[in-house]
Amino acid sequence: MMRKLHSLLRLQGGINQTLYRHTAPTISARNYATDEANANADSNNNKNSNAKRESKSLPAIRNPFGAAQEKTKNTYLTMVEIFEERDVHRRNHVEFIYAALRHMPEFGVENDLEVYKALINVMPKGKFIPTNVFQSEFMHYPKQQQCIIDLLEQMEDNGVMPDYEMEAMLLNVFGKKGHPLRKYWRMMYWMPKFKNLSPWPLPDQLPDDTLELARLAVERMCTVDLRSKVNVFETKELKDSLDDTWIVSGMSVEQSKLLKEHSPQKALYIEGPFHIWIRNRRINYFTLRADADTEFLAQLDESQMDEDDVSQIGVPFFGRAPPRRHNQLGKVRSVHQQDDGTIFAICATGTSTKDSLLSWIRLLELHGFAEFGQIPVLFRFKSTVPAKAEEIAGPDQSSDMEALNIHKEHT
Amino acid sequence: MHCLVRQTSRFRCWLPAARIHTTVVQQTFWEREKKSGYKTKLPEPSKKEQIIQGFRDLKAEMKLWQQEVKEKLESDPILVFRPGETDVVFDFKAPDVLDKWTVTTDADHGEGKSSATLELSAAGAGLFHGEVSSQHTKDGIIKRTGYANIRTKRVRKSFKRETTYDWTQYNMLILKVRGDGRSYLINLHTEGYFDLMWNDIYHYVLYTRGGPHWQIAKIPFSKFFLSSKGRVQDRQNAIHLNCVTHFGFSVAAKKGMDGPFGLEIDYVGLEYDPSHREEFAYEMYRTPKYIVAT
Repeated sequence: MMRKLHSLLRLQGGINQTLYRHTAPTISARNYATDEANANADSNNNKNSNAKRESKSLPAIRNPFGAAQEKTKNTYLTMVEIFEERDVHRRNHVEFIYAALRHMPEFGVENDLEVYKALINVMPKGKFIPTNVFQSEFMHYPKQQQCIIDLLEQMEDNGVMPDYEMEAMLLNVFGKKGHPLRKYWRMMYWMPKFKNLSPWPLPDQLPDDTLELARLAVERMCTVDLRSKVNVFETKELKDSLDDTWIVSGMSVEQSKLLKEHSPQKALYIEGPFHIWIRNRRINYFTLRADADTEFLAQLDESQMDEDDVSQIGVPFFGRAPPRRHNQLGKVRSVHQQDDGTIFAICATGTSTKDSLLSWIRLLELHGFAEFGQIPVLFRFKSTVPAKAEEIAGPDQSSDMEALNIHKEHT
Repeated sequence: MHCLVRQTSRFRCWLPAARIHTTVVQQTFWEREKKSGYKTKLPEPSKKEQIIQGFRDLKAEMKLWQQEVKEKLESDPILVFRPGETDVVFDFKAPDVLDKWTVTTDADHGEGKSSATLELSAAGAGLFHGEVSSQHTKDGIIKRTGYANIRTKRVRKSFKRETTYDWTQYNMLILKVRGDGRSYLINLHTEGYFDLMWNDIYHYVLYTRGGPHWQIAKIPFSKFFLSSKGRVQDRQNAIHLNCVTHFGFSVAAKKGMDGPFGLEIDYVGLEYDPSHREEFAYEMYRTPKYIVAT
């Protein structure tokens, strides 16, 4: 009755505003999940309204999840237990589950299968199992079924895979014709297939340490070359570095060979920050690269003859010089020599500042690349430089391009 | 109480019946148009302008038609697809390639705050970038949002007749991309004739490595699974490669992945790999009666 009235009033909010304002708080206070503060405010409003008498007959409203002091998994499960034991009828259990689902991220339990099971356990066993064809066809207890479907959907969104115990629980609650069961079976068909599909697997729990994350990111980017090596440097090694931070640097044997062969007349660029996502964390990284070696690349293109061209097929038997053996072993293009540049190294630093990148170059110089002394290194920063970089480098130095001859600075 | 109800019923008489619903109307019986209610009404040009535009298009269409007739008369189709050779279908180095793609986000219909663009990158490839956000207006209807999407325009023959791609000779999808560590969704639309088949899309995930290096992803068509309106379907089958109507990528702000994204695409190609014998990667259990799509 009240619900109907509520919906009718909502439709005519514009017309019947005064009536709506008076009656609405009573009805909205029925919601189990209303904030405690709101509930109090509502009861204050009611004092002057006509609906005061009705509010007396309603149960006291409290949102245990919103009011909890300590937000841990233990308190969460305790509150579910308290709800279960409060009375035999477990009134408002659908509203309770919805409220519990909504508050999951606050308690940090949204990825915990045990918690989802505890919530399903709130549902009474055996009561919702359809007993005839019509009940099973027309979604017996639709609100309850939809509630558990939403719970399973939330699990799916968070990538929590159910287990067989959950199947047994759902069977006890809704029977084998229940819609939540259908959802469960679909999840159990598809989720294991997609769970470990990524060619770059990540740990279930990502580390909170930025250094570890940066390591994961650089290692992931370096999978392009199996001989890559990831080093973690500390800027403390250098005596004239401003930032005290770490640098994760990735470089392969092939890249170091390319770098050693690089002509000192051509500049190197440090570019960035670019970003890479490690699940839901974003890591900034920088690259050390040079412009593409166009001569070398053109040379490769020449040797690729058009195989589809059938206009000139030479007969290799008569009056034709045998194919020359020299020049058959040419240089192979490495994976780092791309059309848009040659990539020598990738790094991520703790501060992402220009100074830390300068330290990176110096550290590479210390660890076997003395050539950096001769090669000009240019910094090419994108406009999204962290504020700290500007703070350290000064506002006038944060221009897009700036030549820094490391050798000169050193001496 | 009773007087209240009476009062409201009096007001009800002039309210249109359609406004009585307080829940979302789910029409599962038939669909009026392909966009399922998301069609934006664009102003139509005047009759005169339409005629002029029609004549302008006629020249190009005739040329296309000539080509088609020529090919038909020549009757010299490619019969042997050499293994290991990639045939490029969507090349981002081609001129005015960006006109062939449509970019959509959830912000188009006021359902979210994502933004996206497709443009040419410094390396000359196509760069699909922007920002996805799972924030949305809490209107009580939309539960979750945050996506950006690109899709090719419907493939056509001459005189604007709709047609489909025919990729039956191939069994691999080859993508040369440079991503940012996010995973993207590859969408192969196989729009059918009936309303039930309007939203048939075959999906697979494109995992990107991230970093400055290009990556060549080789995905067998047998791995693509059928879904409709974002729901994986119970009754699956391998994709019919002669029915592909659109091709696209999606990216979503799921699991707190709100923020910028960038996918650089050099080309999308096809390949025939004789060593790949799989027809469909998912086992086909017989579903119990009256369970499918409920």
